[in-house]
Amino acid sequence: MSGRRAARVIFGRELASVARSRTYLLLFVGVAAVIVGIATVGGGTEAGYVPTAVDLLLPLELLVPVVAFGIGYRSIADDVQREELEVLNTYPVPDWAYVGGVYAGRAVAVVTTLAVPLLVVGVLIWLSAGPDTTIVATHRGIDSPVLFGRFISLTLGYALMVLAVVLALSALASSRKVALTLAVVGVGGIVVGLDLLVLRGVGAEWIASDTLVTALAASPASAFRGLVFETVLYVAFDAETGYASPIANAFSLVSWTLIGLSAAAVGVSRR
Amino acid sequence: MSDGPILRAEDLDHSFGDVEVIDDVSVGVEAGDVTAIVGPNGSGKTTLLRLLAGLLTPTAGSVAYLGPDAEREIGYLPQRPTFRPGFTVYETIAFYEALVGDEPGDLLEQVGLADAANRRVEALSGGMTRLLGVAQATVGDPPVIVLDEPGSGLDPGMRRRTFEVVRDLASGGTGVLLSSHDLELVERTADRVLVLDRGAVVADGSPEQLIEEYAVDSIWDVFEAAITGSAETVDVVGVPR
Repeated sequence: MSGRRAARVIFGRELASVARSRTYLLLFVGVAAVIVGIATVGGGTEAGYVPTAVDLLLPLELLVPVVAFGIGYRSIADDVQREELEVLNTYPVPDWAYVGGVYAGRAVAVVTTLAVPLLVVGVLIWLSAGPDTTIVATHRGIDSPVLFGRFISLTLGYALMVLAVVLALSALASSRKVALTLAVVGVGGIVVGLDLLVLRGVGAEWIASDTLVTALAASPASAFRGLVFETVLYVAFDAETGYASPIANAFSLVSWTLIGLSAAAVGVSRR
Repeated sequence: MSDGPILRAEDLDHSFGDVEVIDDVSVGVEAGDVTAIVGPNGSGKTTLLRLLAGLLTPTAGSVAYLGPDAEREIGYLPQRPTFRPGFTVYETIAFYEALVGDEPGDLLEQVGLADAANRRVEALSGGMTRLLGVAQATVGDPPVIVLDEPGSGLDPGMRRRTFEVVRDLASGGTGVLLSSHDLELVERTADRVLVLDRGAVVADGSPEQLIEEYAVDSIWDVFEAAITGSAETVDVVGVPR
């Protein structure tokens, strides 16, 4: 009971911290400008939902980790540096409640920062796209807001996964500088590092071609990309499927999220 | 005075790497008593307090809380209390009170900070921040309160007020354990004084007992007689004299 209460109280404080920060407001404005800018300048908003998703996919692979990094990397490290975590240890606050509260509060900020501009883009497409764009996809081959809704959901899922990893790195850091370094390395690993590792594995032949799809799922960026390809972009084309395993990719994102949160709780408990 | 200690530490050792900071310390905290730990800089006071507050695991020995069931068993004021910026004094103390299921009460009045309730914590002076830390340590009425230098950085009036708050807490049945360099206030407030030198307890008793035992006039004289290092240099644990 006290654990749930603690998680709720800490969630409220995180939310208030984020809402009062001008830095996060600036981050939101910047991210919104980038997302809406790419969608409109690239002409995707006039072409439809799926073309816009194509335009946004690659930039979001980079932007999503940057947003999660910006919002999460100091969250626990600052509490450690201020010795607040030590004080909280004298309260009925289980480690899971602390991590859960911090994660939930920061997750609201991450989701808001990404979802609002993406929804604005969705509205822009609805207002400006051609007559082929329909409200609901009833069969394959139709551009649809449902597909764009899937794209937004997958983007947010990817963001929440990266946030969990960033939180774990923040919990392991002994200072704000170390947190920054760990977060940069971690985000780099998520954005390109694990993909390169898989490519290296293919080149060195310790990843066989028949296990490549599964191996790619282990990389969060590949898992996100694969899910977008299989459930958003290639829905219209029967022949263009099987490049990624949706189940393995979804499992990968969920696993990375749980691993991140567990590692954060372990990091906090070792303080 | 109570029937027995509500916090008991036995044969505590603590090392940071090869450096032994606490050496075979045993101490009990009684309900309703103020126990003061005094000693030179670097003598291990903060480490001992953190061990007793359960924030460090001893290398050897044990710490046991023996008091009544409580939502929060031990309150703690760190040596350099810092609070999350962007929140007012009132919001900060309300946050901690919410963690134990309490509604915001009169803790700020108790430490003399009621007039600063709407001030942001980053705008507080060092002394006011410490007073907020003292208020935080008392949140949830813990049976034991551990205060690491509660008077540090306060003007003489506020320092005395803080020790009066400590005395009031003990009068209400709380076991208070504190460290301080203000030996005059310690002599006036504490029921028991432990003198710590190079991680070991070198003197232990009530102020009156210690003054009598050392045949001196004050706790300051006891301090001078009990410690072995020079008063002019910091005695570094792990470095031979």
